[in-house]
Amino acid sequence: MGDSLIKGRGLSPGTATSEVVVCNQLISPLGEISREGLVTSGPCENVNITGKILAFLGGRGSTVGSYTFLELKSRNIGPAGLINESAEQMVVTGAIISDIPMVDRIPLDILSNGDVVYLNGSSGEISIKGVEEKKVATVYLMHGGKVLLLTRSESASSYPGQVSGISGFIEKGESPEQTGRREMEEECGIRDSVTKRIGREIYVRDKNIIYEITPILMESKSDEVKLNDENSGYIWIDPSKMHNYETVPKFKETFVSLVSS
Amino acid sequence: MTELQLSKDEERIFDGEAGEGPKIAIRLLNSLGELGGAERLIPVKSAHISGVSYKNVGEGGIQFLRKISHRVNVPTSLNPLGFDIDNGGPVDIDDTFRKKQMEIVEIYREMGVMDSFTCTPYYYYNEPSFGDHISWAESSAIIYVNSLIGARTNRESGPSALAAAIIGKTPDHGLHRKDGRRASVVVNAEGPLDYTKFAALGLFLGPKLNRNIPIIKGQKGAKGIELKALSAALSATSSIPMFHVEGVTRESDLVEDSPEVMEVGIKEIEETIGKSSSQQEPELIAIGCPHLSSEELDYIAGLVKGKKKVGPDLFLFTSREVKAKSAGAVKTIENFGGKVFSDTCMVVSPLSNNYKSTGTNSGKASFYLPLKGYGNQKVAFMGIMDLLRWVIA
Repeated sequence: MGDSLIKGRGLSPGTATSEVVVCNQLISPLGEISREGLVTSGPCENVNITGKILAFLGGRGSTVGSYTFLELKSRNIGPAGLINESAEQMVVTGAIISDIPMVDRIPLDILSNGDVVYLNGSSGEISIKGVEEKKVATVYLMHGGKVLLLTRSESASSYPGQVSGISGFIEKGESPEQTGRREMEEECGIRDSVTKRIGREIYVRDKNIIYEITPILMESKSDEVKLNDENSGYIWIDPSKMHNYETVPKFKETFVSLVSS
Repeated sequence: MTELQLSKDEERIFDGEAGEGPKIAIRLLNSLGELGGAERLIPVKSAHISGVSYKNVGEGGIQFLRKISHRVNVPTSLNPLGFDIDNGGPVDIDDTFRKKQMEIVEIYREMGVMDSFTCTPYYYYNEPSFGDHISWAESSAIIYVNSLIGARTNRESGPSALAAAIIGKTPDHGLHRKDGRRASVVVNAEGPLDYTKFAALGLFLGPKLNRNIPIIKGQKGAKGIELKALSAALSATSSIPMFHVEGVTRESDLVEDSPEVMEVGIKEIEETIGKSSSQQEPELIAIGCPHLSSEELDYIAGLVKGKKKVGPDLFLFTSREVKAKSAGAVKTIENFGGKVFSDTCMVVSPLSNNYKSTGTNSGKASFYLPLKGYGNQKVAFMGIMDLLRWVIA
């Protein structure tokens, strides 16, 4: 497998490859980025963004902030590219008029400081050098208002002993839904179920692997479960009790967005 | 991404038939419209442009303004700059700054933009009405006119508001539509709040709400100038374009189904003020961020009338028009020993040329002034009575 490829939204065209600076904060480009290209407050205080890909939550504050990027760019000390979780138009305007490629809808927690990132502001894609991507489908199986939780076996290759849904790697030529149905039969012996909703992909970073997980909500006709050796236990629970379990990353919030979207 | 449909005339502008400025302008509006999901451009009644002070715009900005420069198509007001053009001050300016600043002012004048130089153009210069579609920059003015007047503008940047002024249109999305104006968070705010406490409420809520429109409950007695303070502080620390106040603002029935609920107590407000406050006497007391109204100038004149001034410098900031209309109050304040400046303010002038510490009742200024490489000030953020005790003998 090659480098990871994460789909965001293209906001300002062009491409960039550089080290990423990850700032888990909102930034007012006026005031919170200095004329010298330093972030002046928050977790990234005193970090230099010149030539880097700057990743932050989103813009805030002064509507003059667009000009900060133009000024840095005109002095050749601008960032090489911009990544936001959720962009607003002052920063986007700054990127467009300064010819700085920009992408949003990228969760910051899949980036680590110093990662070398390739960013395509037209297609909205980014990839991280040396970080492999694995595609996974996770089924949240419902029956009579309860959701099925599985305890991953202690020999599982990832997140051993933690609680998850029915999941497995998507094999070549398979759709996420086909993976979900195959895994459901292998792991739980369940065949008869109806797909209710397929959610947007979420991304989870674990060292040099990014899991692209497609969440699927299904309803089973029966509550009978026959485990194979991939899991060591199962339980049907009221979804409101999910917080009592040590689940794999982003499991709970993905369920919430799946049932409320 | 939605396809934004340009009219035949707009397409000709897009292709450059109306010249370079309009071409850059409509292409920027087109890109932003597509991101926002707009299907068309709609006419605007007015524009307000930020990006005037050389301190903020810089050399790169001057080059951009020269490229896009073109006569504006609708009444367009302009934000403050780095000094008071006719009277000088508030601080010493070097020749390069002065020259570059006037270069920016001249570029805007050639475009036919008003000499308003204020962040409160809704006093006298450029007063929108309920339901007007407009394209405004200046974060504090955007949130004020959306919330208190019911005019409709997205949170435009300096360049995008200028682009709309040149074309006379803006993309139809976001705050231009009723659905973009709904509150998604209910904020129950405790107790009576004054000007500075409303500013502190803004500083407290901004980072928490990020971009969600709040409806504030429990503040039915809120006054316009207090909500101006809230507007400025909230929009400095977030990208929120609008708020509702139950029983005060006109569109407060626009609330999403099952909104989140937040409680804000007096304790949180006082902690917020405490965090940015210092009891040490500052070198300067600066009031008027956003620019003062006539009502506020009269109030301050009443507090200092006939008193003797001591201690730090006292600077007030307003627009030319408000200053002219409140000549009596200005005279009283000047007799006391304070100074009233127009065209500029404590945030966009290079205050650190003369001062190291500033006392202010503005939440917005208390956010920008301490930032290194920008305001470089030690800031005392507190109510106006606490500030004035330093200058009244």
